[in-house]
Amino acid sequence: MAAIIEFPHSMWISQHTIRFAFHEEISHTNFYAVQAFNRFLKKQLRHNLVESVASYHTVTAYIKQQINVDLLKRQWLEIQAATTNGERTNRLLKIPVCYDEEFALDRQRVMDYTGLSFEDMKMLHMSKSYYVYLIGFLPGFPYLGELDSKLFVPRLEKPRTSVSASSVGVGGGQTGIYPVDSPGGWNIIGKTPFELFDLNGKEPFLFELGDEVQFYEITKQQFWEMKSKGV
Amino acid sequence: MKPLLLIIKQGVYGSLQDKGRYGYRAFGIPLSGPMDKVSFQAAQLILQNHHDQTSFEMFVGGFEFEALADGIYVLTGGQGVCLVNNAPIEMWKTFHLTKGDRLMVKSMNQGSIIYLTPLGGFYSKYELGSSSCLPLGHLGTVITKGSILYGQAASPLKFNRGLYAPYRPTFDSAITIRIFKGPHFHLFMEKSQQQFLQNPFQFSGGNRMGYYLKGPVLQLQEMKEILSEATQFGSIQVPQNGNPIILMADAQTVGGYPIIATVHEDDLHKVAQMRMFNTIHFALEDM
Repeated sequence: MAAIIEFPHSMWISQHTIRFAFHEEISHTNFYAVQAFNRFLKKQLRHNLVESVASYHTVTAYIKQQINVDLLKRQWLEIQAATTNGERTNRLLKIPVCYDEEFALDRQRVMDYTGLSFEDMKMLHMSKSYYVYLIGFLPGFPYLGELDSKLFVPRLEKPRTSVSASSVGVGGGQTGIYPVDSPGGWNIIGKTPFELFDLNGKEPFLFELGDEVQFYEITKQQFWEMKSKGV
Repeated sequence: MKPLLLIIKQGVYGSLQDKGRYGYRAFGIPLSGPMDKVSFQAAQLILQNHHDQTSFEMFVGGFEFEALADGIYVLTGGQGVCLVNNAPIEMWKTFHLTKGDRLMVKSMNQGSIIYLTPLGGFYSKYELGSSSCLPLGHLGTVITKGSILYGQAASPLKFNRGLYAPYRPTFDSAITIRIFKGPHFHLFMEKSQQQFLQNPFQFSGGNRMGYYLKGPVLQLQEMKEILSEATQFGSIQVPQNGNPIILMADAQTVGGYPIIATVHEDDLHKVAQMRMFNTIHFALEDM
């Protein structure tokens, strides 16, 4: 049986916003706590919840009417005691990436910083799965953690004025993918043929908070084939 | 859907807005919607439109329109100089445009934003549950010089309608705004906390994403990075330079700067109507 997750510290941000905070750190423990609490809030608050935004250590709930935090706390502890944490249902998304020079604009910079060959860098990037810790900065931009510390490269001092959509980058302790063409400062190491943000698709967003993401390599030819098929 | 107005001159910035794009903040989609909700809602009430109809929000001045069809409209928001065929008209009251008429929304005496709303609302592409325009996300319809604003079918008004002057919001050059302590208030130096609550700040520019303020430089007790977390319309962030930014309707949904305070939801429209050199005082409220 999993350990009981304590009720997070709550704070009213404004009349219709309440913030729940766990310990301020990026960790797996926090990730599970945040995702579990977010699911719990959606279930308990139902129609009173406009929407909620989770981050590394917080869940911020935008609500219609003020809620009784003490009641929520009791419910949280009851549910915790009654169930194990086995009900987590993360999706695992496999994301193809073409690491070809044409797309890996910061190939040299990443090699210089890390002292790794590009081949090793690729392998490390694909060696583990990541979690969507946070979405924001741009519509649908996923912050994926945690990156192997050997791949830590600071963001560009001077952000690019334009990074094309679907570019895969690393920045500090995280990796991410640009959903739309935009200015940006992450180190670009490849590109996926997938679209992250597609209003014409059945699901407009590829990623959801809490998803698990695994990258795998494709050739340039595969990239263009997948792209033309619009998968 | 019928063509109502042709934009002949585009002022500072104009965009179509309905009440906002709710439900997608977890995906990084900003709320959008009107900057000054009070003036926006008043327009829909005056016209007896549905509360979620679409208005054209203008950062004045210098807008000019040509009527492509007859129509009923209302102008709400800050106090501006508005002319039909060069004759001044009153805001907050319905008025009629005949095909070929020229409407000018020229300049502001008070405030910075004006809403132009037709009977039945404007038509705009409806995406992710809203017709509000968000250029960064390629959502909604971008309006520029030469664009046509389309209207929607609506039943006619029986009378001219409006809001009596005493009920119209006013927008002063010095405002006091209620705030709540933000999640990172305690991380600021005591002196900065006091200065934030006691000194006036001056509006130094901004747009639908954020309003920049200048005043005493606000400092953290220790330089430390905080983890990104959810923000909202009204979050007051303090970046490294110590000058606060109030996040507005199109602001990103998460942010990594310390949040010193959050604006009371009922005071957001006053913040939205600030203009160059206006001053703002913050009054702390308990939750």
